[in-house]
Amino acid sequence: MNSHRFDVIVVGGGLSGLTAAGAAARDGLKVALAATGPGSFVLGSGCMEEQEFARPGDAIEMAEAIAFFREMAQAAGCPFEGGPSEARLLPTILGDFESVALAPRFLWNANPGTSGSTAIVGVKELSTFDENFMAERLNEHASRLGFNPAVRARQISLSPIFAGPITTVRIAARFDSDKGFRSELLGALRIAASGFERILVPAMLGLNSSEEELAQFEHALGCSLGELSTLPPSIAGLRLFHRFRGYLREIGVELFEGFPVVTLNIGDALCTEVVIASPGHPLILRTERVVLAAGQHTSELLGRACAGHDEQIRPLTSAGTVMAANLFDAETDSRDGPEGSGNAMQICAGYRAAIAAAATRGNYAAG
Amino acid sequence: MRQDDFAIDNCLKCSVCNAACPVYAAQAQYPGPKHLGPELERLRCEGIPADTAWLEYCLGCHRCDLACPHQVGVSEMIARAKAKHRKPLIRGLRDWWFARPGLLGQLTTILPSLSNLALSLAPARFLMSKLMRITPERRFPVYTRPNLRTPPIAASRNERPRVLFFPGCFIRYNKPELGRKIIDLLERNGFIAEVAETECCGVPAIANGDADMARTQARRNIKKMADQLHAGMRIVTACSSCGHMLKTGFGGSLEADEELAGVAKKIGSQTFDLAELLMAQSDAGALNTDFRSSNLRLAYHAPCHQKSQGIGRPWFHLLAQIPGVTVEDLDAGCCGMSGTYGFKQEKYGVSMAIGQQLFDRIGAVQPQLIATECATCQMQIEHGTEFKAIHPAEILLQAYDGRSL
Repeated sequence: MNSHRFDVIVVGGGLSGLTAAGAAARDGLKVALAATGPGSFVLGSGCMEEQEFARPGDAIEMAEAIAFFREMAQAAGCPFEGGPSEARLLPTILGDFESVALAPRFLWNANPGTSGSTAIVGVKELSTFDENFMAERLNEHASRLGFNPAVRARQISLSPIFAGPITTVRIAARFDSDKGFRSELLGALRIAASGFERILVPAMLGLNSSEEELAQFEHALGCSLGELSTLPPSIAGLRLFHRFRGYLREIGVELFEGFPVVTLNIGDALCTEVVIASPGHPLILRTERVVLAAGQHTSELLGRACAGHDEQIRPLTSAGTVMAANLFDAETDSRDGPEGSGNAMQICAGYRAAIAAAATRGNYAAG
Repeated sequence: MRQDDFAIDNCLKCSVCNAACPVYAAQAQYPGPKHLGPELERLRCEGIPADTAWLEYCLGCHRCDLACPHQVGVSEMIARAKAKHRKPLIRGLRDWWFARPGLLGQLTTILPSLSNLALSLAPARFLMSKLMRITPERRFPVYTRPNLRTPPIAASRNERPRVLFFPGCFIRYNKPELGRKIIDLLERNGFIAEVAETECCGVPAIANGDADMARTQARRNIKKMADQLHAGMRIVTACSSCGHMLKTGFGGSLEADEELAGVAKKIGSQTFDLAELLMAQSDAGALNTDFRSSNLRLAYHAPCHQKSQGIGRPWFHLLAQIPGVTVEDLDAGCCGMSGTYGFKQEKYGVSMAIGQQLFDRIGAVQPQLIATECATCQMQIEHGTEFKAIHPAEILLQAYDGRSL
């Protein structure tokens, strides 16, 4: 048993890193994930826009990556609904619509649709979300798009059951930990929902709640329930991160959280060590392969200009040689252009890198 | 290691720190690390008064730091502000004592049995609650005569690598027998341990807003470890808070003094958590694995200051090496005790509310025993559940002898 030696080390806790770690672990590899906090996807909803799938590229590869991601999301208790060809219009935080191909189930539910009555239920004490503004804007945007969802605004007050300033994080934390609070919230929402077929609430239903728990909540509510993504902190994004983190732990991925990877030790064109800047003295992890999914920090880590990638997405030096034969770059930028930062593309990049890393199994032996 | 170039601009106000903060979730009024840290820091930098009593509610768990995607040193900003915060008389007096567990230990262990009796009597606890705002809900740990010394070293073992064991206040004044077990464990794994004649590491001083005391303790500790430090000896801690403190340059308390800060950095580079050291032995194939099989069902709770050392989960992996033993990593957040925090009357409720998630998880796992290296995490677990919690070193040592716990 060697606690600091791995088959694959994934650097980065964004969607690409999480996907890469999951994919490598699925292939039976001993995986470590090193991350300083969650990736920037937690600032958003975790949805995948339709336009991401319209880009030129390897559609088959994308389909495979997304299929894997959906399996992983299902196993992590946060399944995604939809598909590249099933896009639907979902409300944005600014009260207009975007065409979303895939979304976590309760965000996917937030489609006001063309039939049935929808209420947007705000929380009186929650200053970052205004149900009237949202309803008005959605109706206006919908009419421009040629449909009339007739969204109404409703409000609940949490002050009787909640002392102190109310934020989505606080509501979500109470939702997770306090069954009494959950049923009181349910009661308040039930009253606001009366007469509607669907209610949409700001995303606040748990920082770690599973789809199953939310389905139970919806069932008890008696009408369809959808969540609207809010300004950061985005509970929808944080919840995805927490569910994936928990899932990866469960399947045996070792997590190294909180301190940055500062050096990749490369010798003889192999990266055998990943150095984490822990307090006091560095933590050195040994590995057979590395998947870099560190976003903007990847170039710092490589330490020299990356002049593109080979067909196995290994970074190349300006001389055209691979920097390390076992170093795979889960980045979207170089291949997909400057816009390559959508969630689907991140997932695809992470998956691609993990598959490339897994395919080199047994070729190298860590020092 | 947080961003050394202290720039509040690194904070993007994403609130990931708030979502990770145990107090933010448990105490509805608490403004959260984002506000108390980077937001108010802007005012403090400009010299605009921004003092608030909520600073006292920070646990110092460092979960905000670990969660921050931009490595903003949130908790250090809060700790610095805490040090300048002015408290009312009674809380101030109580926290003065709480910042000095070494002094408390020295006084109580003059006549330990009398002190223990006094601290456990209902009228005394009632008085402490009224006069000192110390919750009567909790029992103080039992104090013992501080008799942990470097054991005589057999000439045959003289060639072995020596390590300096930094015991910390709990082992020194409450559980010296745990210290002896740790020395035994180190010996069984090829080391010779010398007991450092050091004092409090300074975590309680920083937690109680007493930066001057933390600095004084750091200076004295540096002096007392100087010889061994220069000899290149590794320093071993078994208390996660002491380890955190030694590895972080005494929590940054010596920053103003360049020379001392340099020595503190050297201490950090030579400090290893006991499990970290043993795991390194294991990774080198040198761990004594002469364990007897056991069918113990363990649960492991990682203290916050274990996580803030960024060393992975060495105790979890060590315990899992005992044949037949199963270990469940509870991963249920902060226990809420945070040293002296949970003893404070006004914070007792928050402390227990934070711990609830861990208590629930333990209830669901139903382990036979809980392993956690932090003494106050142990107290909190035993206070909030029906389960027993002990230092994992004891479990490992017992496994060599095949004795049941």
